[in-house]
Amino acid sequence: MAGILKLRVTWLWLFLIAATVASWEFGHGLGFGENIRLSTTAVIVIAFIKARMVILDFMEIRHAPPGLRLLLEAWTLGVATTLLALYWQSA
Amino acid sequence: MSEHTARRTPHLPGETGVWVFILGDMLMFAAFFIVFMFYRGEDVALYAKSQLTLNQHLGAVNTFLMLSSSWCVAVAVETARGGRPRGAQVWLLSAMACAVGFVVVKFFEYSEKIAAGFTLTSNDFFMYYYMLTGLHLMHVLLGLGVLNYLWFTLRAPPAASTLRTLESGASFWHMVDILWIVLFALLYLVR
Amino acid sequence: MNIRNELLCIWSAVLFVIIFTIGIWPLTHFLPPHLPTASAEEIAALYQDRTWQIRLGLFLMMGCSGLVCAFVAAITVAMKRMEQGAGPLTYTQLSAGSLGAVLLIIPCLVWTVAAFRPDRDPQLTLLLNDMGWIMLFMPFTTFVVQNIAIGLAILGDRNAAPVMPRWVGFLNLWVAVLFVPGGLLTFFKKGPFAWSGVFVYWVPLVVFLGWYLVMFAMLRKSAINAHHESRLAASVLALDAIKADQAS
Repeated sequence: MAGILKLRVTWLWLFLIAATVASWEFGHGLGFGENIRLSTTAVIVIAFIKARMVILDFMEIRHAPPGLRLLLEAWTLGVATTLLALYWQSA
Repeated sequence: MSEHTARRTPHLPGETGVWVFILGDMLMFAAFFIVFMFYRGEDVALYAKSQLTLNQHLGAVNTFLMLSSSWCVAVAVETARGGRPRGAQVWLLSAMACAVGFVVVKFFEYSEKIAAGFTLTSNDFFMYYYMLTGLHLMHVLLGLGVLNYLWFTLRAPPAASTLRTLESGASFWHMVDILWIVLFALLYLVR
Repeated sequence: MNIRNELLCIWSAVLFVIIFTIGIWPLTHFLPPHLPTASAEEIAALYQDRTWQIRLGLFLMMGCSGLVCAFVAAITVAMKRMEQGAGPLTYTQLSAGSLGAVLLIIPCLVWTVAAFRPDRDPQLTLLLNDMGWIMLFMPFTTFVVQNIAIGLAILGDRNAAPVMPRWVGFLNLWVAVLFVPGGLLTFFKKGPFAWSGVFVYWVPLVVFLGWYLVMFAMLRKSAINAHHESRLAASVLALDAIKADQAS
């Protein structure tokens, strides 16, 4: 049982939970006070950091052929930036 | 049991073909996310107001369930690679339990919303809410089927082809997790 | 094994895609789509202004839809090679695909009725126009079932040399998913899920035509391979027969 604590993926899972809690708090006003634009930006950025971690270490893309990794990193970066751009344009 | 030694040579998880499906699906959802954000920008007040009616706690619970199920699947794969199919089956069952939990929570969430009078055609926000989470839910159900199938393949010590199938299914499941991570942020937390 | 007939059915795809595109685009101008929010007068005006183009375009769209049956047959033949035994998935594809052809023809006929007497009461023209759009883009069901059947058959192919590469199976499953949102046009008159919306009109249209062309390429390759293999097998049999003759 202690074996699973040694697994990278277990530490990653704990980090993801923590990141979710952080994201939640930012989404409910912690840290950024009245500045909703900044807190929402943090929420979006954290979401894609989480996504990237799942991609690299749960999906094991860290050790995948570079072409596939490029595509998935591009997805992460591309979607995150587009969403942020759309958000800032409107908020 | 041993955690994998770092691979020097690149390893494609699963079979090539499954990535056509996974990348295609991620592309489709990316389009959904972007379209949502675009239309949100046209009527921020409506979306913000409607968002307040969402049950954020259920959304968060679902996020924990998804992340946990993804973790269980990752451990299952490691366990199978370590030559312990029975152990891997237990981890797959745990993942499936989390997934079932997700579906149940969604059922309650939808019921709550519908009872309060918020349906697919209530307004644009709820159109996206139901469409996006609904399509995602379809993928969760499909994934449950896949995990179930994977459980059956692990009744004996896995051959290389079984491991590859396991990786394929696991990759699909992780994608479902990734999509929820983004959905949770966009629908529940973005203000 | 007669490859000529098989290739004929496969090449029908090219003819279908070209004629259908000419019909729906430069002739009828149904690409880009009419809006569900357009008024009866606006729609009636469309049919009055482009009457002969719409009639001709619809004639072409309807006319080439029969070719879908030939293509479905080509897919059926390939699936028979993949599936062992009675081939239920093959039959599923055959029936679902054939029904799909009908689902392309009927909306064209309904729109033709609208164009037949363009000076009707605009409300009637609006009704017929609505009917056509809904009939063309809502029935995702046969296409989804067809694609799932193809996907499952390809992935379940246990031949030593698979009839088609496995990624095509996954592609078919993905295409099936992309057709599903079409069914929801019933709830919306505007936005991305209306019949004019990106997820109901553009994505399924592009995906359908794209899938057609990918399957065309893959079927052609697979038919040629199968033909080579059967000729090889026939030569081997002939050689064995000659050897047996000589030995006796």
